[in-house]
Amino acid sequence: MNWNRIAFAVVAVALTTAPAMAGWKVATTGQPVTVAKSTLSVRPLADWNMASARPSKKGEMWTIDGATLNELSFFAGVAPGEALVKERDKKNKPLPKVTSGMLLTDIPPLLEQTMRIALGTSLFEVETMEPAKLAGHDAITFRYRYVVEADNLERRGEARAALVNGKLYVINFSAPKIHYFDRDIDAVRRLMDSATL
Amino acid sequence: MKRRLSAFALALTLLARPAGAADAPLPSALGYKPQDELERSLWLEMDEQERELKNSKFVVRDPALNAYVRGVLCRTVGEDRCQSARIYIVRTPQFNANMAPNGMMQVWTGLLLRMRNEAQLAAVLGHEFGHFERQHSLKQFKSIRSKADAMAWLSFLPYGAGLIGQVALLGSVFSFSRDMEREADELSVTYLAQSPYATDQANRIWEQLRAEQDATAAARGTKSAKDKNGGFFATHPNTAERVAYLREAATQKPHPEGRNFDAEYRQALVSWWPSLIDDQVKLNDFGGTSFLLEKLAADGWTPDLNFARGELYRARGREGDFAAAATHYRAAIDSGSVLPECWRGLGMAMLRNGQQAEGQAALQKYLELKPDAGDRSIIAMMAGG
Repeated sequence: MNWNRIAFAVVAVALTTAPAMAGWKVATTGQPVTVAKSTLSVRPLADWNMASARPSKKGEMWTIDGATLNELSFFAGVAPGEALVKERDKKNKPLPKVTSGMLLTDIPPLLEQTMRIALGTSLFEVETMEPAKLAGHDAITFRYRYVVEADNLERRGEARAALVNGKLYVINFSAPKIHYFDRDIDAVRRLMDSATL
Repeated sequence: MKRRLSAFALALTLLARPAGAADAPLPSALGYKPQDELERSLWLEMDEQERELKNSKFVVRDPALNAYVRGVLCRTVGEDRCQSARIYIVRTPQFNANMAPNGMMQVWTGLLLRMRNEAQLAAVLGHEFGHFERQHSLKQFKSIRSKADAMAWLSFLPYGAGLIGQVALLGSVFSFSRDMEREADELSVTYLAQSPYATDQANRIWEQLRAEQDATAAARGTKSAKDKNGGFFATHPNTAERVAYLREAATQKPHPEGRNFDAEYRQALVSWWPSLIDDQVKLNDFGGTSFLLEKLAADGWTPDLNFARGELYRARGREGDFAAAATHYRAAIDSGSVLPECWRGLGMAMLRNGQQAEGQAALQKYLELKPDAGDRSIIAMMAGG
Protein backbone atom coordinates (compact mmCIF):
# COMPACT_ATOMS: atom_id res chain seq x y z
CA MET A 1 0.00 0.00 0.00
CA ASN A 2 1.54 3.31 -0.99
CA TRP A 3 0.83 6.69 0.54
CA ASN A 4 -1.21 7.95 -2.38
CA ARG A 5 -3.59 5.09 -1.96
CA ILE A 6 -3.84 5.74 1.74
CA ALA A 7 -4.58 9.41 1.17
CA PHE A 8 -7.30 8.30 -1.21
CA ALA A 9 -8.61 5.74 1.26
CA VAL A 10 -8.90 8.40 3.97
CA VAL A 11 -11.53 10.28 2.03
CA ALA A 12 -13.01 7.69 -0.27
CA VAL A 13 -16.37 7.01 1.30
CA ALA A 14 -18.50 8.07 -1.64
CA LEU A 15 -18.05 7.48 -5.33
CA THR A 16 -16.76 10.82 -6.49
CA THR A 17 -15.42 12.45 -3.35
CA ALA A 18 -13.54 15.57 -4.36
CA PRO A 19 -10.10 16.35 -2.99
CA ALA A 20 -9.87 19.05 -0.33
CA MET A 21 -8.26 21.47 -2.79
CA ALA A 22 -11.26 21.47 -5.12
CA GLY A 23 -12.72 24.84 -6.03
CA TRP A 24 -16.41 25.36 -5.46
CA LYS A 25 -19.28 27.28 -7.01
CA VAL A 26 -22.81 27.51 -5.73
CA ALA A 27 -25.83 26.26 -7.69
CA THR A 28 -28.63 28.56 -6.62
CA THR A 29 -32.05 27.27 -5.66
CA GLY A 30 -34.51 27.34 -8.55
CA GLN A 31 -31.97 28.26 -11.23
CA PRO A 32 -31.40 25.66 -13.99
CA VAL A 33 -27.80 24.47 -14.28
CA THR A 34 -26.21 22.37 -17.01
CA VAL A 35 -23.99 19.68 -15.59
CA ALA A 36 -20.99 17.51 -16.51
CA LYS A 37 -20.16 19.63 -19.57
CA SER A 38 -23.19 18.23 -21.33
CA THR A 39 -26.71 19.27 -22.25
CA LEU A 40 -28.11 17.62 -19.11
CA SER A 41 -29.72 20.35 -17.05
CA VAL A 42 -31.34 20.29 -13.59
CA ARG A 43 -33.08 22.78 -11.33
CA PRO A 44 -31.91 22.41 -7.70
CA LEU A 45 -34.27 22.96 -4.75
CA ALA A 46 -31.48 23.86 -2.37
CA ASP A 47 -28.15 25.64 -2.64
CA TRP A 48 -25.64 23.01 -3.67
CA ASN A 49 -21.86 23.38 -3.80
CA MET A 50 -20.53 22.32 -7.18
CA ALA A 51 -16.98 20.93 -7.11
CA SER A 52 -14.57 22.00 -9.81
CA ALA A 53 -12.74 18.70 -9.44
CA ARG A 54 -14.47 16.12 -11.59
CA PRO A 55 -14.82 12.37 -11.06
CA SER A 56 -14.33 11.78 -14.79
CA LYS A 57 -14.44 13.70 -18.05
CA LYS A 58 -18.17 13.11 -18.16
CA GLY A 59 -18.94 13.52 -14.47
CA GLU A 60 -19.59 16.23 -11.92
CA MET A 61 -20.07 16.24 -8.14
CA TRP A 62 -22.19 18.41 -5.86
CA THR A 63 -22.63 18.50 -2.12
CA ILE A 64 -24.46 20.52 0.55
CA ASP A 65 -22.49 19.81 3.72
CA GLY A 66 -19.44 17.99 2.36
CA ALA A 67 -19.15 14.92 0.19
CA THR A 68 -18.97 12.49 3.09
CA LEU A 69 -22.37 13.76 4.29
CA ASN A 70 -24.22 14.18 1.02
CA GLU A 71 -23.00 13.62 -2.47
CA LEU A 72 -24.87 14.20 -5.68
CA SER A 73 -23.07 13.03 -8.78
CA PHE A 74 -23.93 13.38 -12.44
CA PHE A 75 -22.62 11.30 -15.31
CA ALA A 76 -23.71 12.43 -18.74
CA GLY A 77 -23.23 10.73 -22.10
CA VAL A 78 -20.94 7.90 -20.96
CA ALA A 79 -20.30 5.92 -24.16
CA PRO A 80 -19.73 2.17 -24.66
CA GLY A 81 -16.19 1.26 -23.63
CA GLU A 82 -16.02 4.03 -21.01
CA ALA A 83 -16.06 3.64 -17.22
CA LEU A 84 -18.32 5.68 -14.98
CA VAL A 85 -15.48 7.32 -13.02
CA LYS A 86 -11.82 7.83 -13.76
CA GLU A 87 -9.85 4.61 -13.42
CA ARG A 88 -7.19 5.10 -10.77
CA ASP A 89 -5.50 1.76 -11.27
CA LYS A 90 -6.33 0.56 -14.77
CA LYS A 91 -3.90 -2.31 -14.64
CA ASN A 92 -4.82 -3.91 -11.33
CA LYS A 93 -8.32 -2.62 -10.66
CA PRO A 94 -9.98 -2.03 -14.00
CA LEU A 95 -13.53 -0.69 -13.69
CA PRO A 96 -16.50 -2.14 -15.56
CA LYS A 97 -17.43 -0.30 -18.76
CA VAL A 98 -20.64 0.74 -20.45
CA THR A 99 -21.44 -1.79 -23.20
CA SER A 100 -23.53 -1.37 -26.32
CA GLY A 101 -26.97 -2.91 -26.07
CA MET A 102 -27.08 -2.45 -22.30
CA LEU A 103 -30.48 -2.84 -20.66
CA LEU A 104 -31.74 -0.45 -18.00
CA THR A 105 -31.38 -3.25 -15.47
CA ASP A 106 -27.68 -3.55 -16.31
CA ILE A 107 -27.07 -0.05 -14.90
CA PRO A 108 -27.39 -0.84 -11.17
CA PRO A 109 -24.80 -3.66 -11.38
CA LEU A 110 -22.47 -1.31 -13.28
CA LEU A 111 -22.68 1.27 -10.50
CA GLU A 112 -22.42 -1.45 -7.84
CA GLN A 113 -19.26 -2.98 -9.30
CA THR A 114 -17.74 0.45 -9.83
CA MET A 115 -18.36 1.37 -6.20
CA ARG A 116 -17.21 -1.98 -4.84
CA ILE A 117 -13.93 -1.65 -6.72
CA ALA A 118 -13.35 2.10 -6.29
CA LEU A 119 -14.23 2.10 -2.59
CA GLY A 120 -12.84 -1.35 -1.80
CA THR A 121 -16.00 -2.60 -0.16
CA SER A 122 -17.93 -5.84 -0.28
CA LEU A 123 -20.79 -4.50 1.85
CA PHE A 124 -22.94 -3.18 -0.96
CA GLU A 125 -26.48 -4.18 -1.81
CA VAL A 126 -28.93 -2.97 -4.44
CA GLU A 127 -32.33 -3.10 -2.74
CA THR A 128 -34.90 -2.03 -5.30
CA MET A 129 -35.17 -1.19 -9.00
CA GLU A 130 -38.17 0.50 -10.58
CA PRO A 131 -39.09 1.98 -13.95
CA ALA A 132 -38.85 5.78 -14.10
CA LYS A 133 -38.34 8.72 -16.44
CA LEU A 134 -35.28 10.87 -16.81
CA ALA A 135 -35.56 13.99 -19.00
CA GLY A 136 -38.52 12.33 -20.77
CA HIS A 137 -36.64 9.11 -21.53
CA ASP A 138 -37.34 5.63 -20.17
CA ALA A 139 -35.19 5.28 -17.08
CA ILE A 140 -34.55 3.21 -13.99
CA THR A 141 -34.58 4.33 -10.36
CA PHE A 142 -32.70 2.15 -7.91
CA ARG A 143 -31.94 2.29 -4.23
CA TYR A 144 -28.92 0.76 -2.56
CA ARG A 145 -26.98 0.73 0.67
CA TYR A 146 -23.32 0.30 1.46
CA VAL A 147 -20.62 0.64 4.09
CA VAL A 148 -17.00 1.60 3.58
CA GLU A 149 -14.34 0.54 5.94
CA ALA A 150 -12.94 4.02 6.51
CA ASP A 151 -15.78 5.19 8.76
CA ASN A 152 -18.01 2.13 9.22
CA LEU A 153 -21.12 4.30 8.62
CA GLU A 154 -24.10 2.84 6.84
CA ARG A 155 -24.88 4.88 3.74
CA ARG A 156 -27.90 4.83 1.49
CA GLY A 157 -28.06 5.77 -2.13
CA GLU A 158 -30.62 6.40 -4.82
CA ALA A 159 -29.91 6.86 -8.50
CA ARG A 160 -31.89 7.53 -11.62
CA ALA A 161 -30.41 6.53 -14.94
CA ALA A 162 -31.28 6.30 -18.62
CA LEU A 163 -29.66 5.16 -21.85
CA VAL A 164 -30.11 7.72 -24.59
CA ASN A 165 -28.79 6.82 -28.05
CA GLY A 166 -26.62 4.15 -26.42
CA LYS A 167 -25.04 6.59 -23.97
CA LEU A 168 -25.50 6.47 -20.23
CA TYR A 169 -26.91 9.31 -18.09
CA VAL A 170 -26.95 8.95 -14.30
CA ILE A 171 -27.91 11.18 -11.38
CA ASN A 172 -26.76 9.51 -8.19
CA PHE A 173 -27.28 10.59 -4.58
CA SER A 174 -25.70 9.02 -1.49
CA ALA A 175 -25.58 10.01 2.16
CA PRO A 176 -25.28 8.45 5.62
CA LYS A 177 -28.43 6.62 6.63
CA ILE A 178 -28.50 8.55 9.88
CA HIS A 179 -30.14 11.94 9.33
CA TYR A 180 -28.67 13.05 6.00
CA PHE A 181 -30.26 10.66 3.50
CA ASP A 182 -33.79 11.17 4.75
CA ARG A 183 -33.34 14.92 5.14
CA ASP A 184 -32.40 15.50 1.49
CA ILE A 185 -33.90 12.68 -0.57
CA ASP A 186 -37.21 14.40 -1.38
CA ALA A 187 -35.50 17.49 -2.72
CA VAL A 188 -33.09 15.30 -4.67
CA ARG A 189 -35.96 13.39 -6.28
CA ARG A 190 -37.53 16.64 -7.39
CA LEU A 191 -34.17 17.72 -8.81
CA MET A 192 -34.08 14.41 -10.74
CA ASP A 193 -37.64 15.12 -11.97
CA SER A 194 -36.53 18.52 -13.23
CA ALA A 195 -33.83 17.10 -15.53
CA THR A 196 -33.88 18.01 -19.21
CA LEU A 197 -31.62 16.84 -22.00
CA MET B 1 -6.46 -37.33 26.32
CA LYS B 2 -5.37 -34.56 28.63
CA ARG B 3 -1.93 -36.11 28.98
CA ARG B 4 -1.66 -36.48 25.27
CA LEU B 5 -2.60 -32.86 24.83
CA SER B 6 0.01 -31.61 27.28
CA ALA B 7 2.69 -33.77 25.72
CA PHE B 8 1.61 -32.32 22.40
CA ALA B 9 1.81 -28.78 23.79
CA LEU B 10 5.23 -29.44 25.28
CA ALA B 11 6.52 -30.87 22.03
CA LEU B 12 5.29 -27.81 20.18
CA THR B 13 6.75 -25.44 22.75
CA LEU B 14 10.15 -27.01 22.36
CA LEU B 15 9.90 -26.95 18.61
CA ALA B 16 8.68 -23.40 18.47
CA ARG B 17 11.20 -21.91 20.84
CA PRO B 18 13.94 -19.99 19.06
CA ALA B 19 17.50 -21.11 19.74
CA GLY B 20 19.17 -19.15 22.53
CA ALA B 21 15.93 -17.96 24.08
CA ALA B 22 15.28 -20.89 26.35
CA ASP B 23 14.01 -18.77 29.26
CA ALA B 24 12.01 -16.15 27.39
CA PRO B 25 8.25 -16.70 27.70
CA LEU B 26 6.42 -17.33 24.45
CA PRO B 27 3.62 -14.95 23.47
CA SER B 28 1.38 -17.97 23.03
CA ALA B 29 1.75 -18.86 26.73
CA LEU B 30 -1.26 -18.25 28.93
CA GLY B 31 -1.13 -14.83 30.61
CA TYR B 32 1.81 -13.59 28.54
CA LYS B 33 2.46 -9.87 29.04
CA PRO B 34 4.66 -7.52 27.01
CA GLN B 35 8.24 -7.70 28.23
CA ASP B 36 9.42 -4.12 27.79
CA GLU B 37 8.26 -0.61 26.97
CA LEU B 38 8.65 -1.06 23.25
CA GLU B 39 6.55 -4.19 23.18
CA ARG B 40 3.97 -2.52 25.43
CA SER B 41 3.64 0.39 23.00
CA LEU B 42 3.13 -2.01 20.13
CA TRP B 43 0.45 -3.87 22.09
CA LEU B 44 -1.30 -0.64 22.99
CA GLU B 45 -1.47 0.32 19.35
CA MET B 46 -2.80 -3.11 18.42
CA ASP B 47 -5.31 -3.14 21.28
CA GLU B 48 -6.66 0.17 20.03
CA GLN B 49 -6.98 -1.22 16.51
CA GLU B 50 -8.66 -4.33 17.83
CA ARG B 51 -11.20 -2.20 19.70
CA GLU B 52 -12.14 -0.60 16.36
CA LEU B 53 -12.13 -3.90 14.51
CA LYS B 54 -14.58 -5.35 17.03
CA ASN B 55 -17.14 -2.73 15.99
CA SER B 56 -16.52 -3.01 12.26
CA LYS B 57 -19.48 -3.94 10.09
CA PHE B 58 -17.01 -5.94 7.99
CA VAL B 59 -16.51 -8.51 10.74
CA VAL B 60 -18.49 -11.69 10.06
CA ARG B 61 -20.48 -12.46 13.22
CA ASP B 62 -21.84 -15.90 12.22
CA PRO B 63 -21.13 -17.94 15.39
CA ALA B 64 -20.94 -21.25 13.50
CA LEU B 65 -18.32 -20.01 11.04
CA ASN B 66 -16.31 -18.37 13.83
CA ALA B 67 -16.37 -21.53 15.91
CA TYR B 68 -15.29 -23.56 12.90
CA VAL B 69 -12.26 -21.38 12.06
CA ARG B 70 -11.23 -21.30 15.73
CA GLY B 71 -11.56 -25.09 15.85
CA VAL B 72 -9.20 -25.43 12.89
CA LEU B 73 -6.63 -23.17 14.54
CA CYS B 74 -6.88 -25.07 17.83
CA ARG B 75 -6.51 -28.43 16.14
CA THR B 76 -3.46 -27.04 14.29
CA VAL B 77 -1.47 -25.40 17.09
CA GLY B 78 -3.00 -27.17 20.09
CA GLU B 79 -5.80 -26.31 22.51
CA ASP B 80 -3.51 -24.52 24.96
CA ARG B 81 -1.75 -22.11 22.70
CA CYS B 82 -4.75 -21.29 20.49
CA GLN B 83 -6.26 -19.54 23.54
CA SER B 84 -3.86 -16.68 22.86
CA ALA B 85 -5.55 -15.90 19.53
CA ARG B 86 -8.70 -13.82 19.04
CA ILE B 87 -9.99 -14.47 15.54
CA TYR B 88 -11.87 -11.96 13.39
CA ILE B 89 -13.28 -13.10 10.06
CA VAL B 90 -13.37 -10.06 7.80
CA ARG B 91 -15.69 -9.74 4.79
CA THR B 92 -13.32 -8.73 2.06
CA PRO B 93 -12.71 -10.68 -1.15
CA GLN B 94 -8.90 -10.65 -1.20
CA PHE B 95 -6.61 -13.44 -0.06
CA ASN B 96 -5.17 -12.49 3.34
CA ALA B 97 -4.71 -13.49 6.94
CA ASN B 98 -2.51 -11.98 9.62
CA MET B 99 -1.89 -12.08 13.32
CA ALA B 100 -0.86 -9.05 15.35
CA PRO B 101 1.59 -9.28 18.26
CA ASN B 102 -1.22 -8.87 20.81
CA GLY B 103 -3.04 -11.99 19.55
CA MET B 104 -5.57 -10.36 17.17
CA MET B 105 -5.88 -12.61 14.13
CA GLN B 106 -7.66 -11.56 10.92
CA VAL B 107 -8.90 -14.08 8.39
CA TRP B 108 -10.31 -12.52 5.23
CA THR B 109 -13.22 -14.17 3.46
CA GLY B 110 -11.25 -14.11 0.17
CA LEU B 111 -8.91 -16.57 1.83
CA LEU B 112 -11.77 -18.84 2.86
CA LEU B 113 -13.04 -18.81 -0.73
CA ARG B 114 -9.67 -19.97 -2.03
CA MET B 115 -8.99 -22.83 0.36
CA ARG B 116 -9.92 -26.26 -0.95
CA ASN B 117 -9.95 -28.08 2.36
CA GLU B 118 -9.42 -27.77 6.09
CA ALA B 119 -5.75 -28.77 5.87
CA GLN B 120 -5.05 -25.77 3.62
CA LEU B 121 -6.76 -23.40 6.03
CA ALA B 122 -4.79 -25.03 8.85
CA ALA B 123 -1.53 -24.41 6.95
CA VAL B 124 -2.27 -20.67 6.59
CA LEU B 125 -3.44 -20.25 10.18
CA GLY B 126 -0.39 -22.18 11.37
CA HIS B 127 1.85 -19.91 9.31
CA GLU B 128 0.36 -16.73 10.81
CA PHE B 129 0.51 -18.23 14.27
CA GLY B 130 4.17 -18.99 13.61
CA HIS B 131 4.87 -15.29 12.93
CA PHE B 132 3.08 -14.46 16.16
CA GLU B 133 4.82 -17.04 18.28
CA ARG B 134 8.25 -16.13 17.00
CA GLN B 135 7.42 -12.44 17.54
CA HIS B 136 8.39 -11.46 14.03
CA SER B 137 6.47 -8.17 14.16
CA LEU B 138 8.19 -7.17 17.38
CA LYS B 139 11.59 -8.04 15.94
CA GLN B 140 10.91 -5.95 12.85
CA PHE B 141 9.63 -3.13 15.02
CA LYS B 142 12.82 -3.20 17.06
CA SER B 143 14.98 -3.22 13.96
CA ILE B 144 13.13 -0.22 12.54
CA ARG B 145 13.51 1.56 15.85
CA SER B 146 17.21 0.97 15.82
CA LYS B 147 17.39 2.80 12.50
CA ALA B 148 14.76 5.50 12.94
CA ASP B 149 12.04 6.39 15.32
CA ALA B 150 9.45 3.68 14.96
CA MET B 151 7.03 5.63 17.12
CA ALA B 152 6.89 8.17 14.34
CA TRP B 153 5.68 5.38 12.10
CA LEU B 154 2.99 4.43 14.53
CA SER B 155 1.77 7.97 15.06
CA PHE B 156 1.73 8.51 11.32
CA LEU B 157 -0.69 5.68 10.75
CA PRO B 158 -3.80 7.33 9.33
CA TYR B 159 -6.76 6.32 11.41
CA GLY B 160 -9.14 7.24 8.61
CA ALA B 161 -7.51 4.73 6.31
CA GLY B 162 -9.75 2.06 7.71
CA LEU B 163 -8.79 -0.60 10.08
CA ILE B 164 -8.39 -3.50 7.73
CA GLY B 165 -6.11 -1.48 5.49
CA GLN B 166 -4.27 -0.20 8.51
CA VAL B 167 -3.42 -3.62 9.77
CA ALA B 168 -2.32 -4.55 6.27
CA LEU B 169 -0.21 -1.40 6.26
CA LEU B 170 1.38 -2.34 9.55
CA GLY B 171 2.11 -5.64 7.91
CA SER B 172 4.01 -3.81 5.20
CA VAL B 173 5.84 -1.56 7.65
CA PHE B 174 6.88 -4.69 9.44
CA SER B 175 7.33 -6.52 6.19
CA PHE B 176 8.78 -9.82 7.27
CA SER B 177 12.13 -10.84 5.96
CA ARG B 178 12.39 -13.83 3.71
CA ASP B 179 13.98 -15.74 6.58
CA MET B 180 11.03 -14.98 8.82
CA GLU B 181 8.61 -16.15 6.15
CA ARG B 182 10.55 -19.32 5.82
CA GLU B 183 10.63 -19.78 9.57
CA ALA B 184 6.83 -19.32 9.79
CA ASP B 185 6.35 -21.73 6.90
CA GLU B 186 8.52 -24.35 8.55
CA LEU B 187 6.80 -23.84 11.87
CA SER B 188 3.45 -24.28 10.16
CA VAL B 189 4.57 -27.64 8.75
CA THR B 190 5.80 -28.58 12.23
CA TYR B 191 2.40 -27.79 13.75
CA LEU B 192 0.64 -29.72 10.99
CA ALA B 193 2.84 -32.76 11.51
CA GLN B 194 1.47 -32.92 15.08
CA SER B 195 -2.11 -32.23 14.07
CA PRO B 196 -4.88 -34.23 12.38
CA TYR B 197 -4.00 -32.42 9.12
CA ALA B 198 -1.91 -33.42 6.13
CA THR B 199 1.39 -31.53 5.72
CA ASP B 200 1.46 -31.40 1.94
CA GLN B 201 -1.23 -28.77 1.32
CA ALA B 202 0.68 -25.51 1.93
CA ASN B 203 2.58 -25.57 -1.36
CA ARG B 204 -0.69 -26.25 -3.20
CA ILE B 205 -2.19 -23.01 -1.87
CA TRP B 206 0.64 -21.01 -3.35
CA GLU B 207 0.67 -22.97 -6.58
CA GLN B 208 -3.02 -22.27 -7.01
CA LEU B 209 -2.59 -18.59 -6.16
CA ARG B 210 0.22 -18.27 -8.70
CA ALA B 211 -1.96 -19.89 -11.35
CA GLU B 212 -4.85 -17.57 -10.44
CA GLN B 213 -2.59 -14.52 -10.86
CA ASP B 214 -1.53 -15.84 -14.27
CA ALA B 215 -5.19 -16.23 -15.24
CA THR B 216 -6.06 -12.69 -14.07
CA ALA B 217 -3.15 -11.26 -16.05
CA ALA B 218 -3.86 -13.29 -19.20
CA ALA B 219 -7.46 -12.06 -19.34
CA ARG B 220 -6.41 -8.45 -18.73
CA GLY B 221 -3.42 -8.58 -21.07
CA THR B 222 -1.05 -7.56 -18.26
CA LYS B 223 2.00 -9.18 -16.72
CA SER B 224 1.28 -11.72 -14.00
CA ALA B 225 1.87 -10.40 -10.47
CA LYS B 226 2.94 -13.82 -9.25
CA ASP B 227 6.64 -12.99 -8.88
CA LYS B 228 6.09 -9.43 -7.73
CA ASN B 229 7.43 -8.66 -4.34
CA GLY B 230 5.28 -5.70 -3.39
CA GLY B 231 1.98 -5.03 -1.64
CA PHE B 232 0.56 -8.01 0.14
CA PHE B 233 3.19 -10.26 -1.36
CA ALA B 234 5.92 -8.23 0.31
CA THR B 235 4.86 -9.99 3.50
CA HIS B 236 3.90 -13.24 1.82
CA PRO B 237 6.30 -13.76 -1.06
CA ASN B 238 4.49 -15.97 -3.47
CA THR B 239 7.50 -17.28 -5.25
CA ALA B 240 8.43 -20.45 -7.04
CA GLU B 241 11.16 -20.86 -4.41
CA ARG B 242 8.56 -20.90 -1.66
CA VAL B 243 6.45 -23.51 -3.40
CA ALA B 244 9.59 -25.62 -3.78
CA TYR B 245 10.75 -25.48 -0.17
CA LEU B 246 7.23 -26.06 1.16
CA ARG B 247 6.99 -29.16 -0.98
CA GLU B 248 10.39 -30.22 0.34
CA ALA B 249 9.36 -29.55 3.96
CA ALA B 250 6.25 -31.72 3.51
CA THR B 251 8.41 -34.53 2.11
CA GLN B 252 10.74 -34.28 5.08
CA LYS B 253 7.91 -34.39 7.59
CA PRO B 254 5.62 -37.06 6.21
CA HIS B 255 2.42 -37.35 8.16
CA PRO B 256 0.61 -40.40 6.83
CA GLU B 257 -2.27 -40.13 9.31
CA GLY B 258 -2.86 -36.49 8.32
CA ARG B 259 -6.02 -35.86 6.32
CA ASN B 260 -7.36 -32.99 4.23
CA PHE B 261 -10.95 -32.91 5.51
CA ASP B 262 -12.42 -31.79 2.16
CA ALA B 263 -16.04 -32.61 2.91
CA GLU B 264 -15.90 -30.99 6.36
CA TYR B 265 -14.54 -27.80 4.85
CA ARG B 266 -17.20 -27.64 2.15
CA GLN B 267 -19.91 -28.27 4.73
CA ALA B 268 -18.65 -25.53 7.07
CA LEU B 269 -18.67 -22.96 4.27
CA VAL B 270 -21.82 -24.11 2.49
CA SER B 271 -24.09 -21.26 3.58
CA TRP B 272 -21.38 -18.69 2.82
CA TRP B 273 -20.36 -19.81 -0.67
CA PRO B 274 -23.01 -17.79 -2.57
CA SER B 275 -22.02 -14.51 -0.84
CA LEU B 276 -18.29 -15.12 -1.13
CA ILE B 277 -18.57 -16.07 -4.80
CA ASP B 278 -20.75 -13.01 -5.42
CA ASP B 279 -18.08 -10.77 -3.85
CA GLN B 280 -15.49 -12.35 -6.14
CA VAL B 281 -17.60 -12.12 -9.31
CA LYS B 282 -18.12 -8.39 -8.69
CA LEU B 283 -14.37 -7.70 -8.64
CA ASN B 284 -14.38 -7.38 -12.44
CA ASP B 285 -11.59 -9.96 -12.68
CA PHE B 286 -12.86 -12.31 -15.38
CA GLY B 287 -9.70 -14.40 -15.72
CA GLY B 288 -9.02 -14.88 -12.02
CA THR B 289 -12.67 -15.54 -11.21
CA SER B 290 -13.08 -18.09 -14.04
CA PHE B 291 -9.99 -19.86 -12.80
CA LEU B 292 -11.27 -19.91 -9.22
CA LEU B 293 -14.70 -21.17 -10.22
CA GLU B 294 -13.09 -23.99 -12.19
CA LYS B 295 -10.98 -24.94 -9.17
CA LEU B 296 -14.02 -24.87 -6.91
CA ALA B 297 -15.84 -27.02 -9.45
CA ALA B 298 -13.13 -29.70 -9.46
CA ASP B 299 -15.67 -32.16 -8.06
CA GLY B 300 -18.48 -31.01 -10.30
CA TRP B 301 -20.38 -27.85 -11.19
CA THR B 302 -22.89 -27.18 -8.43
CA PRO B 303 -25.95 -25.02 -9.14
CA ASP B 304 -24.33 -22.11 -7.23
CA LEU B 305 -21.14 -22.34 -9.26
CA ASN B 306 -23.05 -22.46 -12.54
CA PHE B 307 -25.09 -19.46 -11.48
CA ALA B 308 -21.88 -17.59 -10.62
CA ARG B 309 -20.43 -18.48 -14.04
CA GLY B 310 -23.58 -17.16 -15.70
CA GLU B 311 -23.29 -13.89 -13.76
CA LEU B 312 -19.60 -13.59 -14.68
CA TYR B 313 -20.20 -13.98 -18.41
CA ARG B 314 -23.27 -11.75 -18.41
CA ALA B 315 -21.37 -8.99 -16.57
CA ARG B 316 -18.48 -9.08 -19.05
CA GLY B 317 -20.88 -8.91 -21.99
CA ARG B 318 -18.47 -9.54 -24.87
CA GLU B 319 -19.49 -11.23 -28.06
CA GLY B 320 -20.68 -14.75 -27.30
CA ASP B 321 -20.82 -14.08 -23.55
CA PHE B 322 -24.63 -13.83 -23.38
CA ALA B 323 -25.09 -17.18 -25.10
CA ALA B 324 -22.51 -18.70 -22.74
CA ALA B 325 -24.20 -17.08 -19.74
CA ALA B 326 -27.58 -18.50 -20.79
CA THR B 327 -26.04 -21.98 -21.01
CA HIS B 328 -24.65 -21.68 -17.47
CA TYR B 329 -27.91 -20.39 -15.97
CA ARG B 330 -29.74 -23.19 -17.73
CA ALA B 331 -27.27 -25.71 -16.29
CA ALA B 332 -27.84 -24.28 -12.80
CA ILE B 333 -31.60 -24.65 -13.23
CA ASP B 334 -31.32 -28.16 -14.68
CA SER B 335 -29.10 -29.27 -11.79
CA GLY B 336 -31.74 -28.20 -9.29
CA SER B 337 -30.98 -24.59 -8.33
CA VAL B 338 -33.77 -23.04 -6.29
CA LEU B 339 -32.44 -19.49 -6.84
CA PRO B 340 -35.07 -17.39 -8.65
CA GLU B 341 -32.13 -15.22 -9.80
CA CYS B 342 -31.12 -18.02 -12.20
CA TRP B 343 -34.28 -17.29 -14.20
CA ARG B 344 -33.64 -13.56 -13.96
CA GLY B 345 -30.10 -13.99 -15.27
CA LEU B 346 -31.28 -16.35 -18.01
CA GLY B 347 -33.94 -13.89 -19.12
CA MET B 348 -31.54 -10.94 -19.19
CA ALA B 349 -28.86 -12.91 -21.05
CA MET B 350 -31.41 -14.03 -23.67
CA LEU B 351 -32.77 -10.50 -24.13
CA ARG B 352 -29.26 -9.27 -24.79
CA ASN B 353 -28.70 -12.17 -27.13
CA GLY B 354 -31.72 -11.17 -29.22
CA GLN B 355 -33.95 -14.01 -27.96
CA GLN B 356 -36.84 -11.77 -26.98
CA ALA B 357 -39.66 -14.28 -26.45
CA GLU B 358 -37.61 -16.85 -24.52
CA GLY B 359 -36.00 -14.10 -22.48
CA GLN B 360 -39.38 -12.67 -21.50
CA ALA B 361 -40.66 -16.12 -20.57
CA ALA B 362 -37.68 -16.63 -18.27
CA LEU B 363 -38.28 -13.25 -16.60
CA GLN B 364 -41.92 -14.17 -16.03
CA LYS B 365 -40.75 -17.37 -14.37
CA TYR B 366 -38.50 -15.28 -12.10
CA LEU B 367 -41.47 -13.14 -11.04
CA GLU B 368 -43.55 -16.24 -10.36
CA LEU B 369 -40.82 -17.64 -8.11
CA LYS B 370 -40.12 -14.32 -6.37
CA PRO B 371 -43.37 -12.37 -6.19
CA ASP B 372 -41.96 -9.87 -3.67
CA ALA B 373 -38.77 -9.13 -5.67
CA GLY B 374 -37.33 -5.63 -5.14
CA ASP B 375 -37.17 -5.19 -8.92
CA ARG B 376 -40.65 -6.56 -9.66
CA SER B 377 -42.09 -3.56 -11.50
CA ILE B 378 -39.23 -3.04 -13.91
CA ILE B 379 -38.80 -6.76 -14.62
CA ALA B 380 -42.56 -7.06 -15.24
CA MET B 381 -42.24 -4.26 -17.77
CA MET B 382 -39.35 -6.01 -19.52
CA ALA B 383 -41.18 -9.34 -19.40
CA GLY B 384 -43.99 -7.79 -21.38
CA GLY B 385 -46.61 -8.51 -18.75
